Amino acid sequence: MIGDPAELVIRHARVLDPSAGIHAVTDVRVSSGRIAQIEDGLRGAREIDADGLHLFPGFVDVHAHWRTPGREDEESIESGSASAASGGFTTVVMMPNTDPVVDKPVVVSGLVRRIERESRVRAYVSAALHMGLEGERLTEMRLLREAGAFCVSDDGLGTQSAGVLRNAMLYARSSGLPVILHCEDHTLATGVVHEGACAALAGVPGTPASAEDAATATALVLAAETGARVHITHVSTDLSAALVGFFKGRADLTADTTPHHLTLTDDLISTLDGMYRVNPPLRPERDRSGVMGALRDRIIDFVATDHAPHASEEKELPLQEAAPGFLGHETAFSALYTELVLGGELPLPRLVEAMSCAPGRWVNGSGSLRVGAPADLALVDLSESWTVAKESLSSRSSNSPYLGRRLTGRVAATIVGGELVHDRVGARFGVRA
Amino acid sequence: MTLEDASREELREILDLALAHARGGLEQTLAGKTVCLAFFESSTRTAVSFELSARRCGADVISLSEKGSAIAKGESLVDTVVTLDRLGADAIVLRHPATGAAALAARHTGAAVINAGDGCGQHPTQALLDLYALSSSLGGFDELAGRRVAIVGDILHSRVARSVIPAFCAAGMEVALVAPRTLLPLDAWGLPVLSSIDDALDWGAAVLYMLRLQRERMTGARVPSVAEYARFYGVAGRHLERGVMVMHPGPVNRGVEISGEVVLDGSSLIPDQVAAGSHVRSAVLALATGAAHEVAA
Repeated sequence: MIGDPAELVIRHARVLDPSAGIHAVTDVRVSSGRIAQIEDGLRGAREIDADGLHLFPGFVDVHAHWRTPGREDEESIESGSASAASGGFTTVVMMPNTDPVVDKPVVVSGLVRRIERESRVRAYVSAALHMGLEGERLTEMRLLREAGAFCVSDDGLGTQSAGVLRNAMLYARSSGLPVILHCEDHTLATGVVHEGACAALAGVPGTPASAEDAATATALVLAAETGARVHITHVSTDLSAALVGFFKGRADLTADTTPHHLTLTDDLISTLDGMYRVNPPLRPERDRSGVMGALRDRIIDFVATDHAPHASEEKELPLQEAAPGFLGHETAFSALYTELVLGGELPLPRLVEAMSCAPGRWVNGSGSLRVGAPADLALVDLSESWTVAKESLSSRSSNSPYLGRRLTGRVAATIVGGELVHDRVGARFGVRA
Repeated sequence: MTLEDASREELREILDLALAHARGGLEQTLAGKTVCLAFFESSTRTAVSFELSARRCGADVISLSEKGSAIAKGESLVDTVVTLDRLGADAIVLRHPATGAAALAARHTGAAVINAGDGCGQHPTQALLDLYALSSSLGGFDELAGRRVAIVGDILHSRVARSVIPAFCAAGMEVALVAPRTLLPLDAWGLPVLSSIDDALDWGAAVLYMLRLQRERMTGARVPSVAEYARFYGVAGRHLERGVMVMHPGPVNRGVEISGEVVLDGSSLIPDQVAAGSHVRSAVLALATGAAHEVAA
């Protein structure tokens, strides 16, 4: 054996980390799970020849549904984390709208133990903001935090009463937990797609953009007043993005949007295919481009996928009967690279910042290639073109809106704490003679 | 009526007079005076303590409670006060569920109005007896200056908090608030906010002033569970090992804000607070009716 077996050298990769100001073809030494050295001419006992590949800090997804506990037929910690690893994600936050809901310390501690055993990537638990996600009784946030919860959220439903939400923000602040908010006013959200010309022509009941905008405005006002650490997830309208911009500096605030809201629009309604039902719904081009501009300008801080696996019997239905949600992990980078970077809307460094650096900072101070940081890495082949197919997905479900699409740029390998957790360059990897 | 503007010297004067009452020899200061107790809201220790003080000082006492009086028949506060005024009351001791009731009453009578608790407003005699009990235990009023006291619990809904906070500050104490932000007013007082009893002890609190968590606050809207509240905002036996004194205005919720073993522990001032009540209220009645000055003259 030559050298330290826990050591790995990645050679000749084009290393890009906007947070550390690195953009060069060079070598990276990983030792004891951390980045040890970044410079030319490194050699090691184990090497990956990454010639022609890009090396980014691993992607971070603050919004994923791994359906565990309760719907392991749709996704498990094993399959969800495999799906994440296959998309280059090294850190994921699991949402609490499971069965049972993650609203008790014992559920959190159980999940934390299972993650240690079953997850290929770093996974954090979001606990519920209210018992049963019912928007009435606060959860025991301080005890949830002690049990290992990372944040709290009423994702999937949203908190309907402003008075209730205000108390939840105040209590979350006292508990030291950030709040992830799904903003949706149910008195307005009565349809299944975006209310606009496409919905009207197709004859499918629409939900107006105001369902998101009014709830977002309320949440932002309360965030500013309570001082809670608030993250608005899946911002999908031009107006909501502008509201987030208005409240930056007035509240302890971050926001994300999703790959699908950045790359798809509501003209897909005309297919009448239940596959394309998602919440918040796909929006018209005007909203897509407004949200895209906000992401470019850092009003929206980062991207999160809202990875939402569904069994085929829940998606192969008319729009009105289908379950809302898309798979996200495995197509996120490729779809955004293809549509936004190659489409000329977003520079590659900003995409890496939005998928790695900014969400990494928010979650656990990761998302950086600085020496000493955990070796959480994504190796990406920007030249590979591939067609999204059920067989190519690691998820237990296959409800990807990109099925059948040809995308450019594909994750070649994912490394978490120095360990390869996804490897499509196997042939190039091995012990040097 | 309120302690918000009380100065250190004014507080000292009242406490000195209370001490004089405690030492005896001032038994008949209120002879010939009529003290009216008008309690529009139930009360045990405050009502009993005022009545005892007034009687011990020789006053005639008229006691109205919600039950069996005109109050129960729906008479307005102002009408009740005017009636008591015409019956010749020298002092009206008023407890009322609405904030500002004492101030309103004072505008309709020439009698001295003593605020015995108004809504979420003020409870000045409670704060005075707390200062008295704490001073006695520390060896004098001047011993309060520079000591750290943490006010713990439902500050948002507490009239006691609104009186003890300015009183402790005026006495020169350093005050911090310990409560979930759902039970705290936004930005009031500009005092440090701490997130548990342990944090308060780390901050250097010499006194934990515990407030009662009302049953109706435990339903989950502001506090998720009694278990979590007790864990972070309840004082337990282990906290006493750090030599902290514990106060509580009563009535205590054992096992919620205070564990049973603490209530009657040597470091608990709770019995002293009750004992201080009648001395302080005698002093307040004497000052309010002018009797104190007559005696001095």
